[in-house]
Amino acid sequence: MTSWQPTPALVRACLLALGGVTAGVVLGQEVMVVLAAPFVVVAAMGLAARPRTAPRVTARLDHHRLHEGQGSTSRLDVDDLAGVEHVTRVAGVAPHVATSPPYGAVGALVDDGLPTLRFSPRRWGRRDLGSERVGLTSAWAGWRWGPLDLPRHGLSVLPQTAPYDSRAEVPQPDGLVGRHRSRRLGGGTEFEGIRPFATGDRLKRITWPVSLRTGELHVITTRAEQDAGVWLVVDGLRDIGVSGGVDGAASTLDLTVRAAAALAEHHVRTGDRVGLLVVAADGTRVPLGAGPRHLHRLHGTLARVRTEARSVPPERLDLGAGAGSVVHVLSPMLFTPLVTATASLQRSGASVIVVDTLGEAMSAGTDRLALPSLAARMQRIERDDRLRRLAGLGTPVVPWRGPGTLDTVLHLLARRAQVPKVRA
Amino acid sequence: MRPLASGAAPSALALRALVLALPCLALALALPEVPHWFVLLGVPVSAAVWARTPDHAVGVVPLVLVGGWWASHDVLDWRVPVVAVLLLAAHLAAVLAAYGPATLAVDRRLARLWLVRGLLALVPVPVTWLALRGLDPAWAPPGTWLAAGALLSALLLVTARLTRSEAR
Repeated sequence: MTSWQPTPALVRACLLALGGVTAGVVLGQEVMVVLAAPFVVVAAMGLAARPRTAPRVTARLDHHRLHEGQGSTSRLDVDDLAGVEHVTRVAGVAPHVATSPPYGAVGALVDDGLPTLRFSPRRWGRRDLGSERVGLTSAWAGWRWGPLDLPRHGLSVLPQTAPYDSRAEVPQPDGLVGRHRSRRLGGGTEFEGIRPFATGDRLKRITWPVSLRTGELHVITTRAEQDAGVWLVVDGLRDIGVSGGVDGAASTLDLTVRAAAALAEHHVRTGDRVGLLVVAADGTRVPLGAGPRHLHRLHGTLARVRTEARSVPPERLDLGAGAGSVVHVLSPMLFTPLVTATASLQRSGASVIVVDTLGEAMSAGTDRLALPSLAARMQRIERDDRLRRLAGLGTPVVPWRGPGTLDTVLHLLARRAQVPKVRA
Repeated sequence: MRPLASGAAPSALALRALVLALPCLALALALPEVPHWFVLLGVPVSAAVWARTPDHAVGVVPLVLVGGWWASHDVLDWRVPVVAVLLLAAHLAAVLAAYGPATLAVDRRLARLWLVRGLLALVPVPVTWLALRGLDPAWAPPGTWLAAGALLSALLLVTARLTRSEAR
């Protein structure tokens, strides 16, 4: 509807006013004249307030890219408000999107400013906001423009960066610069020890207190600082459990994606190069990279992870990673081929850590003997067996618990990496 | 069929309750005289439908039924202005409720604005009531009824012209 139309209220007032006055004059019904008198005023004022403009209504969102739980405001733009007294906006319900005011209906007099709607996505991914309808009403509610259907807006919702920090060092740093302590000596700031001066040592490395005390020149040795290549393998094959959004229960894919986002942020902030492999029907591979822009790219890729029933687990994980890389496999590990591929990766020389993201998704229901409950328990037993065998091959498996999840495992791997190896 | 969508605002529910109750109350003023069964049945049913969809044309039905019954009763006593107030209040409650769905809470400033407008619209009621009770139609100068009829016809034409939709 693209014109000012009389409202049912105006039509009602006109009918009552004219009908009452006509009955009074023509039929001599005095009571009808008294009853119709107020409607004459309402009808006359409503008719007189007819706007003559053709307003153009658009809505815009303050932000199009948000993290889960954050919010954005939708603002209305009306190019010509002459004759408009009241504006009503009603937003449709969209899954995993909270609106304020609740139920997405808001109205205000134009004198108070155009009404705004606030949206807050509660789950990562691509979120379509519900269709919105806008109605403009003239003074005395006589005329209405609309309701107009406004184009839908979409939000790209990045996974929530769950608080994650780790003090553990990555086991096999292999880059040139970074925050991890190298196994080799070199020009860094991390203190290693003091030794006698040798030809070629830089003079600024001489430690004068020790040299004076011993009567012989001594220099300070330091460790070089290196970065590491960290790969995140995200299992997007299935989504088990029901997602309640950022405030509710987490499905396996929720846990996987949020854990991957947290790990990516941690490693990029540490100065490591991070790569991402999404194992799904339309799998994506983001090569190793560093810096805030790369982190943004990783989060964007994670926000686009979709599960599809037709997706099949891969026979091998093609990372193109060198032997020095650290690989975090984030998965509920429900598919044997993925477990086999992880074991192959471990054999190829990478430091592989499996982050178990099953969470509470397959916890037993209230009725333990019910068929779905039995099936879930059987599947869980099989999965646990696969994980035990994987651990037997030397791949640590840790359930995701947020901050510090990987500390112990990374310490152990770092220690193991420093042990001299005998190669055949 | 659910009467209203879930999440209806209390203020919107209150307005709908008024839309239902006020026409019935205007009819109840006739007690102890009992209106015709058709009016007795028609007013609450049509008012209930109107309360559910305040933006619907059905809203004219309870108002016409109540007004028609009082006109046929033809008693110009104190109850007639009261009925006029109740019918106008029902109309204005429906107007306020029709600004949006039931989930839209009523804006306080808008409600105040319509209260003032309602009081303004009620100004002609006592004037008309007193005029009709105090003046004798026989004293009216010749041509009054003809002029009134012509004015009414002109008003009808103007209203029809103004309310005609203009598709753009």
